[in-house]
Amino acid sequence: MTGTIRSNQIQKIFSQNEAYLSLIIVAYSILVTSLNPSFLSFENLLDLGKSSASLGIMAIGVFVVLLSGGIDMSFTAIAISGQYIAANVLIASGIDNIYFAFLISCMVGLGLGAINGLIISYFRIPTFIVTLGTLNVFHGILLTVVGTKAVNSAQLPDCFKKFGATNVFTIVKPEGGSYGLSIFTVIFIALALLTWFILTYTRLGRSVYAIGGDMEAAKRAGLNVFSIQFFIYCYVGILAGIAGVLHVSLIRYSNPTYLVGSELSVIAPVVLGGTRITGGSGTVIGTILGVAMITLLNNSLILIGLSSFWQEFFTGIIVAISVSLSSYQIRKSMMI
Amino acid sequence: MAEDFLTIKNVSKFYAGVRALDSVDMSIGRGEIHCLVGENGSGKSTLIKIIAGVVKPDEGEIIIQGKSYKNLRPIDSINEGIQVIYQDLSLFPNLSVAENISLNQLIEEKKKIINWKEVKNIAWDVLSIIKKELDLNEKVENISIANKQLVAICRALIRNAKLIIMDEPTTAITKKEIDKLLSVILDLKERGISTLFVSHKLSEVLQIAEKVTVLRDGKKVGDFNAGELNYDTLSFYMSGKKIDHSVFDYKEDSEQKTLLEVKDLSKKGQFEDISFKVKPGEIVGMIGSLGSGRTEVALSLFGLNKPNSGTIFVNEQPVKIDSPRKAVSLGISYLPEDRLNQGLFLRQSIQNNIVVTNLKKLLSKFRLINNSKKYQYAKTWVDELSVNVPSLEVAVQALSGGNQQRVVIAKWLATNPKIFILDSPTVGIDVASKSNIHNLIRQLAKNSIGVIMISDEVPEIVRNCNRILVMADGRIVREVNTIDITEDELFDLVSSNSKNSEG
Repeated sequence: MTGTIRSNQIQKIFSQNEAYLSLIIVAYSILVTSLNPSFLSFENLLDLGKSSASLGIMAIGVFVVLLSGGIDMSFTAIAISGQYIAANVLIASGIDNIYFAFLISCMVGLGLGAINGLIISYFRIPTFIVTLGTLNVFHGILLTVVGTKAVNSAQLPDCFKKFGATNVFTIVKPEGGSYGLSIFTVIFIALALLTWFILTYTRLGRSVYAIGGDMEAAKRAGLNVFSIQFFIYCYVGILAGIAGVLHVSLIRYSNPTYLVGSELSVIAPVVLGGTRITGGSGTVIGTILGVAMITLLNNSLILIGLSSFWQEFFTGIIVAISVSLSSYQIRKSMMI
Repeated sequence: MAEDFLTIKNVSKFYAGVRALDSVDMSIGRGEIHCLVGENGSGKSTLIKIIAGVVKPDEGEIIIQGKSYKNLRPIDSINEGIQVIYQDLSLFPNLSVAENISLNQLIEEKKKIINWKEVKNIAWDVLSIIKKELDLNEKVENISIANKQLVAICRALIRNAKLIIMDEPTTAITKKEIDKLLSVILDLKERGISTLFVSHKLSEVLQIAEKVTVLRDGKKVGDFNAGELNYDTLSFYMSGKKIDHSVFDYKEDSEQKTLLEVKDLSKKGQFEDISFKVKPGEIVGMIGSLGSGRTEVALSLFGLNKPNSGTIFVNEQPVKIDSPRKAVSLGISYLPEDRLNQGLFLRQSIQNNIVVTNLKKLLSKFRLINNSKKYQYAKTWVDELSVNVPSLEVAVQALSGGNQQRVVIAKWLATNPKIFILDSPTVGIDVASKSNIHNLIRQLAKNSIGVIMISDEVPEIVRNCNRILVMADGRIVREVNTIDITEDELFDLVSSNSKNSEG
């Protein structure tokens, strides 16, 4: 059957997507290293792994939503709410414990995610509109009810700072000082693995793919679309909560106006990683590669000496190009 | 056969006091291939839904495998082995063939964790039942519609189907694929699985079915053995009217200039060396199965499919048609095959749909749309084409297929076309409306419009065209005046050529 042979080729091209992205990452790294040799050092790479972890975790959340055929614009507001509330509760209660911080931040994330999930599955409103709305509602409530004053480094409970400095292993440099593999990177990888497992090996995960592929068919097949969507937005909420804690532990400063506004730079790596913006198709590996590429780009711009304002410009370009490319590919494969 | 698989007795259904089904009896034997035909609104879909347990009949009983149901629930119907394959197939395009086939079973078994080996084994087993091979790892979006149907059939078989109901299964597949589907159905028959076909295409019904049940206005006209029927008797039973089967009468006027000429038009992988002429008042038929290149040629004439080489002449002047806008300015109109998606703005009003090709004429002196002018304009066309509408404000999606098609035609006539290309103008339209559309098309030709009519239905082409171009594999394999060929000859010509293309 010619049909089968042809479509095999298409499939190869699609999985090649990730190979191409890896290739570009390697080529680009070599280019930047030739301009600034300190770039490709083990130390810098581990550092990139650490600083990109919170972006990566949010990206995984966004990936799951996109997969289901939806979009979440509110996760930045959820992440900052989780972080800021956790920091303030820890200060007020005097409990200086990072697990407690995670618990609070995740509960906030779960709660806000559940609100998204309920509105979306109950009222059947387009996810973009709902989450764009809740982005502002969540953030607005945070600023008016919880507060607007930033928690500075001196006020920040020690557990955050200690957590931010925790390495799984440490290498002492001969000339003094040390570096190592941050716990952040490990958490990111663990969450990526967990998400991959859920999506590949559980009925729930396959249902996420199914509703992203064809919502109507999913209903007819007897899937409970309501509970699947509810799960997805709760899951994104929790991931945002975790990312929020990582973020404050990294920069040792909690400002309730941070993160919000950076939605696109989280969506960018996901789309770059080959996740279809219309849902149903994408991989965790692709998302991780996307995060790596964006991190690389942002980091190298500074190393090359371009102003960080260029980051926004490049992020926008990347989203535009990768979305156009994938829709072009789909169109081409349909026309053959 | 000793006992029928399914018997329906005296089933009636009322919707808001209107009888959708009126004491209908029907029985389907084990392993029988049964066709259900009827015009739109004849009650076919209601009957299917009743068999599936989705709709409850107000009167009557349903006997499945000897067991009588007064109150059939969907789950009862499924447990008795009845599976409906809806027209849209309800598959997941982004999932693999294997997963699409086995997903239902996994849901049913309430498994939390997926065992991929099991998923593939389930799919493999079912595919071997229908003796077909498909790449289990391939995503469904990458396979042909015909193969998608096989996936849907497999999914039905997994639930131990004993009766598979297919709603309009052949609308989008080629003749070759229809034959393949038919062979699958014959295999199922051997296993004692019955098939209930719902179809609009009469020639196919006659080819496939053993028994045919005809519905009209909610009543059963009768059960027939397929052998007793032919195209004319079947369309008579369906519509209850003697359909005018007069042949299009064209008087050639040798003085008339050629309106459209296509010379050696080729597009790589689609069509080659296409040459033909159309004069005013002609209806030129283009016949060929799906994939023969017929639609691709039409799209090229409308500026939607750039050819690699060749020339198009309009009024004996060479022209370059690189956009629909250009085509319209040259007086070419195109009625697409997929009327719902390409021909209409379904949710917009009838009025908006008609005026859309000609908004410029409706502008007031402030360059805004003049609403009363717009209404008048739409009204003129609706009257002219006798579109049956409750009001001009009604959304087009509420109209019947025949009336929708008239709206599309009206929209294009409003541009005052010289050349009108109609791609499968009567697909999915019931027999009576069909003949009205045909009359309308003849009327266009009388008004000196050159018409190109694309279709895969032999009788439609023979009765309405004065000249026929037979297409296969992207080439015109034969050009013939209609008076020189009979329906049977043309049918043989078309089917032999589409068989060749399998080669």
